[in-house]
Amino acid sequence: MEQSVDIRELNERIKNESSFVDLLTIEMNKVIVGQKHLIEGLLVGLLSDGHILLEGLPGLAKTLAINTLATIVDADFSRIQFTPDLLPADLLGTMIYSQKKEEFVIKKGPIFTNFVLADEINRAPAKVQSALLEAMQERQVTIGDTTYKLDKPFLVMATQNPIEQEGTYPLPEAQVDRFMLKLVIDYPQKQEEQMIIRHNLAQSFPKASTILKPDDIIRARTVVKDVYMDEKIEKYIVDIVFATRFPDDYKGLEKYKDMISTGCSPRASISLSMAAKAYAFIKRRGYVIPEDVRAVCIDVLRHRIGLSYEAEANNVTSVEIINDILNTVEVP
Amino acid sequence: MPKSLKPTHKNIQRLKHHFAFICLFALSLFAHNGFAQGVKASATLDSTLIFIGGQIDLKLEVSQPVDATISWPAFAADTITSNIEIVERGQVDTTKANDRIVLSQLFRITSFDSGLHYIPPIELELIGAESKEIAKSNSLSLMVVNPFPVVNPEDGITGIKDPINTPFKLSEIQDILTYTGIGILLIGLLIFLYSKYGHLISKKEKPAEKVVPLEPAHIIAMRELDRIQESKLWEKNREKEYYTDITDTLRTYLEHRFNVTAMEQTSDEILDTLKSVGEIDKGSMAEIDQVLKLADLVKFAKFNPLPEENNRSIKNAYAFVDKTKRAVVETSEKEETEADETIPVKTEE
Repeated sequence: MEQSVDIRELNERIKNESSFVDLLTIEMNKVIVGQKHLIEGLLVGLLSDGHILLEGLPGLAKTLAINTLATIVDADFSRIQFTPDLLPADLLGTMIYSQKKEEFVIKKGPIFTNFVLADEINRAPAKVQSALLEAMQERQVTIGDTTYKLDKPFLVMATQNPIEQEGTYPLPEAQVDRFMLKLVIDYPQKQEEQMIIRHNLAQSFPKASTILKPDDIIRARTVVKDVYMDEKIEKYIVDIVFATRFPDDYKGLEKYKDMISTGCSPRASISLSMAAKAYAFIKRRGYVIPEDVRAVCIDVLRHRIGLSYEAEANNVTSVEIINDILNTVEVP
Repeated sequence: MPKSLKPTHKNIQRLKHHFAFICLFALSLFAHNGFAQGVKASATLDSTLIFIGGQIDLKLEVSQPVDATISWPAFAADTITSNIEIVERGQVDTTKANDRIVLSQLFRITSFDSGLHYIPPIELELIGAESKEIAKSNSLSLMVVNPFPVVNPEDGITGIKDPINTPFKLSEIQDILTYTGIGILLIGLLIFLYSKYGHLISKKEKPAEKVVPLEPAHIIAMRELDRIQESKLWEKNREKEYYTDITDTLRTYLEHRFNVTAMEQTSDEILDTLKSVGEIDKGSMAEIDQVLKLADLVKFAKFNPLPEENNRSIKNAYAFVDKTKRAVVETSEKEETEADETIPVKTEE
């Protein structure tokens, strides 16, 4: 019975702690019309301390979304446009000589902020991408001899343009793996688009209010970690990830054996469980259910499955594979 | 008789001079052949006629005393003359016969200039002799023929020539024919073996099956629910297993009864699917909703339900199976229903 009491207490605690989620969503919806999936993904990333890779056409409110989030959380925000001539020092910072002090002083780069929008990350060469991804992973930056911790919360939202591939440097698989989620955003619905036109013509852009402090997010993250995940759910996650590695071990997935060149790494399992917990938190539950895993599964795994030439020749996408896996692996 | 050949004193003197010169020349030749007699060199060609760019072998052979040492010709820049090139050099071969040795080397030569080419004697120098002593091979001539018609620029540009038709030879596809033949023979052999012994293999792989009569889905579900109720798992603090068994039974029943992939769906998805089926009344929906929702709490949230809730869950499971089975019986003919609801249960060996 003690266990039951614990889970009830946890449920109550989460209901109290997650009350801001509704407010945050309302404030986001004031500014962002539609894009429910984007907002949900941003929240999952924010609460599970993960970074987000965003793929979508220009003009779909990517920058506005993260800017609004920064306003709501009362956090700092930087937007960095990645270009082929960008250098790691432009991102991280460097040491410059101060004539006044007659010594080298640190000039911190735009990465020293809470929310970073790395716009068109695949336009910058590998050394800049590595610098950003290292900072994302380590949550610290070394300039000269000194290592600086990055601010908390620290969320990177990197965008990729799916149509212009000429003159770009695609992110290697090992680096893409460091993004917890890859969100693919699509055009708004007709009614949503109508609303966007109205807002723009009337020049009456609603503004989001600040309702949270960065500390609230850090506290919420601690609670998210406490969300209960049963052993059955863990096995379910492991089954899903293993199905990407050894599809021929699962009845009905044998056809993907030659289509998947690399399956998901253990980092995918960790990210999937963290994201599922965050999703359960958003849904104001103290425990994870299979629905939570399925809700975030595509966003967590789609960029971690390496497809072979055979898959590309047959126009099989990673999303199709994940959907098939979800429809094949037994739900606990 | 011509005047110049008359035996005059002047002519006799001139003849004496000529004779002396010839004698001296003969002596000098004799003295030179003192080395030449010991070392003999000869050069031979495979053929004296080649097409331009064609290749033939030039063989240089030297016979010498065992104790003599000669310098072998190096042919710098891989050319014998300005018109004749060396394509490949063979190893210097040595054979011994009595007190002499014979050295020979093959040179593969070619020429890209048409015409008659003169190959001068190849010289070999004796090393260690007091004076310079040289042996020479015989000279050779090589005729290089240009088989192509001479292009006259004044004729203007001509069209591209068609590929040369060469006569088809069976040997060209000999390998393919051999392997195809072997392949056909193997396939024929396999077909023969399978047709003769295949029935034995299939019998071995698939043991005789005894088909059990098909059972309706609800009968299997009811029997399974009976087993769960009798096992009283929740009374032994094994609520998780109890609810897992109930939901698994219901899911299996749904799969067979409504042909939905319930085992791969979450509770919410199952409920949505059942709504879309449209055959199930609200009461039955409420019953399965209660079972699945409570089961989720028990399975995933460490929830310990009250004893009444446990009893209610299995009762609702029974009721759902019973009502959904009856609903079909009422709306269609009994035989058809039974046929629809039946599933292949299992096969026994």
